Amino acid sequence: MRLTILGGFLGSGKSTWLRHHLHHGLLRDALVVVNEAADAPVDDALLVGSTRLRVLAGGCACCETRPALVALLRDICDDRVGGDGSAPRIDHIVLETSGLADPGRITDCIVTDRVLQHHIVVGEIIVTVDALHGLGQLRDEDLGRRQIETADRLVVTKVDVAQLERLRRLIATLRVLNPGAALSGSAMGSPTELPDALGGDAETPPVVGAYGAGVPIRAAAIDLGKTLDWPALAVWLSALIHARGDDILRIKGSVRTPRGRILLQSVRKVVQSPEILPDEPVAGDNRDGLLVLIGRRFTAGELVRSLNAFGIGGVAAIEAGAASANVRRPSHEDG
Amino acid sequence: MCANCGFPAAQGHWTDAGAGSAFDRIRGRLQRARILAPVLASYGLTVHDDGSGSGFILANRTGHQVMVNTLSELWEAAERIIGRPVDPLDPRFAGEAPTP
Repeated sequence: MRLTILGGFLGSGKSTWLRHHLHHGLLRDALVVVNEAADAPVDDALLVGSTRLRVLAGGCACCETRPALVALLRDICDDRVGGDGSAPRIDHIVLETSGLADPGRITDCIVTDRVLQHHIVVGEIIVTVDALHGLGQLRDEDLGRRQIETADRLVVTKVDVAQLERLRRLIATLRVLNPGAALSGSAMGSPTELPDALGGDAETPPVVGAYGAGVPIRAAAIDLGKTLDWPALAVWLSALIHARGDDILRIKGSVRTPRGRILLQSVRKVVQSPEILPDEPVAGDNRDGLLVLIGRRFTAGELVRSLNAFGIGGVAAIEAGAASANVRRPSHEDG
Repeated sequence: MCANCGFPAAQGHWTDAGAGSAFDRIRGRLQRARILAPVLASYGLTVHDDGSGSGFILANRTGHQVMVNTLSELWEAAERIIGRPVDPLDPRFAGEAPTP
């Protein structure tokens, strides 16, 4: 089963976005799990119309109700395996997290659970960012920033009511914080064009937490070349994650191996079991042989020299501007 | 699933993904040992993997030996022996001057 994690700060428009996509989009057949930090659930009322909905209230799933989330997901796995075939089969779960959740920690608890790791593949992490309050949240809340850093896809919500200047600045800031993520806009849940970020000045919000305070987060993209040896890269990556796991927030990449292309993903020190990708890159998907690292205290040049020292040649750093063009673009925006 | 305790076995380590056949697996392991040797040598450690069994053996010059199953365990064991992690971004690997 694929699990899509939908995160985003409190009130950033997660439910609105989800509701729209449940009715119109690809998520129509998904089972929806809603987590709310408050004891009295409200979000499920917004989501009536979804035929399959489970609610997990009374705490945030990345910390206090984590055991309940694991139990609920195990239940869903049991139903799927042991059902009598009368209920429609579930292939996709969408987890709407509470606004206080760190999607990275949820991924962590799924890939380390010894039942769930066999049943659930964490697919996309989608994070909504409020066009009105996003910048303020980034300034004040370390959490808002962590959510954005872990996203595969950022959805800027409330685009229709935001000032153009603010919106541009937000988009430029998001591009700096997470250059690897696809970026799209939304108004009342419907996909909306985003203005060009050109002309928007990126803000560098201060990091609130003690660790890494004031050290800028950068992204480095590395072209792995065509003749990469995966065992050698695995040696290098595992050492890097062990030594620098607190600084390297996110790694994404696709690598050619004897079994085909595999998709690599890590959030901080947790590496997901690599996923085999369809052999031929989909049109517009240029990720083949590309590794993106997001974090602090390293430069692309250091990474390339280090790879060479580990016996991995034929690699090159990709310039910052080119990197975001090469990473996954929004492939489908359904209406 | 483990026949003795009934728990599902741990999934293969992520670094072992991508091997299509037993041949790929052995080839990958030998290649891994070849890459590891000079890296660990710069910290006074040796690694031995003959392609049989499930893991490899890490040793230092005084003859202290540890058996490890995965690369993650290897880096943890190396850190315990040398007192700091083997850091690919250490100047000896990532510095401007070409490494010998």
